[in-house]
Amino acid sequence: MNARSWSLGDMRRLPTIVLVARREVRMRLRSRVFVGGTIVMAVLVVVGIVAASLLAGRTTPVRVGFSGGSQALERSFTATAAALGANVTLSDIADVTAGKAQVTAGTLDVLVTGSGTAPTAVAKAAIPSNVESALSLAAEATRLSDAGLSPAAVTSAMALVPVQLLQPPDPKNNENLIASLALGILLWIALGQYGNMVAQGVVEEKATRIMEILLATIRPSRLLAGKVIGIGLVGLLQLTIVGAAALVAVHVTNVASIPALGVASILADIAWFLLGFLFYATAYAAVASLVSRQEEVQGAVAPISIFQIAGYLLMYAALPNPSGPLATVSSLLPPFAPILMAVRMADTDVPFWQVGLAVALIVASIVGLTWLAGRMYSNAALDLGTRVRFMDAFRG
Amino acid sequence: MGPLEVRGLTKRYGDVAALTDLTLEVRAGELFGFVGRNGAGKTTTMRIVLGVLAADAGEVTFAGTALTFEARRKIGYMPEERGLYPKMRVAEQLNYLGELHGMTGADARASATRWLERFGLQERRDDELQSLSLGNQQRIQLAAALVFAPELLVLDEPFAGLDPLAVDVMSAVLRERADAGIPVIFSSHELELVERVCDRVGIIDRGKMVASGTVDELRAGGRERRRVDVPGAVDDWDVGVPGVRLLESDGSRRLFELDPGVDDQALLQAALATGPVRAFERVEPSLGEIFRTVLEEAAA
Repeated sequence: MNARSWSLGDMRRLPTIVLVARREVRMRLRSRVFVGGTIVMAVLVVVGIVAASLLAGRTTPVRVGFSGGSQALERSFTATAAALGANVTLSDIADVTAGKAQVTAGTLDVLVTGSGTAPTAVAKAAIPSNVESALSLAAEATRLSDAGLSPAAVTSAMALVPVQLLQPPDPKNNENLIASLALGILLWIALGQYGNMVAQGVVEEKATRIMEILLATIRPSRLLAGKVIGIGLVGLLQLTIVGAAALVAVHVTNVASIPALGVASILADIAWFLLGFLFYATAYAAVASLVSRQEEVQGAVAPISIFQIAGYLLMYAALPNPSGPLATVSSLLPPFAPILMAVRMADTDVPFWQVGLAVALIVASIVGLTWLAGRMYSNAALDLGTRVRFMDAFRG
Repeated sequence: MGPLEVRGLTKRYGDVAALTDLTLEVRAGELFGFVGRNGAGKTTTMRIVLGVLAADAGEVTFAGTALTFEARRKIGYMPEERGLYPKMRVAEQLNYLGELHGMTGADARASATRWLERFGLQERRDDELQSLSLGNQQRIQLAAALVFAPELLVLDEPFAGLDPLAVDVMSAVLRERADAGIPVIFSSHELELVERVCDRVGIIDRGKMVASGTVDELRAGGRERRRVDVPGAVDDWDVGVPGVRLLESDGSRRLFELDPGVDDQALLQAALATGPVRAFERVEPSLGEIFRTVLEEAAA
């Protein structure tokens, strides 16, 4: 990366937070771990989606071949299949024996033989029920027509029963909820990953002893905020790349309809991810400042991971009743709001005041945590080589 | 610019008094050597000056005003525990530190290039710091303290671990900075070096400043010494000369210390009485000897 592409601030003095964040972004974009990790994640997601589409197979149309007299059924079969939502492709088969061979070989799913009024369906092991129904209806229509009914009479005789729903499902349909839930869980996992990155970065500065030089020139809360923002931007970039790869794969394989992931729902998930990231990353940074070596980071951040796991479990406990007291109360609490409120918003209409209160609480906690973490940071930063007790770091 | 004044600094760690009413002054354009045993309080003092540690009592002023956070950003600091980002490129690291201290990107780059050229490391500018030898990493550490044109230099053991060539470069740079009018204070165990390069010296012991001044002033406060060479002398020729103490004996050459106000002529007469005097000279104690004497007196 050449220096010119980063000429921001060449002639100006930049705020220290911007400088710190810029350094984090530059260093991480350059690291092989980041570049390789992003590529691996994108590849895994694409492979997963392609595999899912192959396993589900529901996008592959059922291939139906008509031979001899049954070919008269083709038009009405196409219409009834469409009405029943069966995805089919049609072909003419000249020779019944050759057609059966195709079914055995798997290049044809269903072979229709016989006449238009008395067709026989030949399949390898099973025949999709909607294809079978469409075929029966088509044969029935032919028989009615042969019996002398006019086309209009046939149509009215064959009309499907209209269905009236007294309690239509929520417009936030099931597919939307599942997609949003999946996205929420992925972002929740990502949150732990980037939080750990912040913790590692803090310990790196302590372990390499550059902390003392930094703290002599920059306020601890700014150093911390710059670090969290920089790593957050990098994380967002990584998620965007992986997310874009996933969307392209979904579009190409047609495994799910993209509109199912409503834009509003995606934006809400991302907004909650950012709030959750700021909350947890700051907490990670604070506890990481208590240790001096990379090996100790995992142990130090464990108490925070417990909150994250608890949030995940609460989500399953609260989901069956998204407006119940458990879901309502826990979705307001800052450690759990990023996942619980996001899931509730995808699942049901959450009262505006609850969303507002949850946002206000988590924003206030982020501000408080930044102050607390900055204090712990500066007090613990110089006690190198030992593990600092929380209360000592807090008191200074 | 300057002076840096530290007045009445007190710092306790639990029951241990790290600093007790410590006072020192580093004038503009002056190289001040800060010497003392390990644990005497040098690093604590410097950390308090830099604001990374808070004092229990006392004040630090620069150019007459209390050091604020903003004013501290003008201090070039080399901490005892060396450290930069090992995976960051050399020039990039200096640019970053320059900008953090309030320079524009362009100024920081120009200054980083200047210091890299000065230390002969221009061709390593795009290498990761960790790929440099330890000596070169030390040079970069000094460049990191200088890159933003500091108005005050505070260096904790800047000569520790340097090869002789690097020592020369370091002392030349410090002299040059002092000559440019900024106060420079550094701590060191290398007393000969301190004596050679410093304008003034402060000796700290167990958190107290026990002596400070130019090396000559410190000498003046100490006792005078005479070296006497009397080849044919009897063994106990100097016994009984009042106010004189034998420090060391090397063949016929003996080194004496005189109590304050004692006339050296009595010693000379005693020497002449025992044989022909080949040498009778005044000996100036080295900083190392002053240091030991001062510490002994402080302990007494």
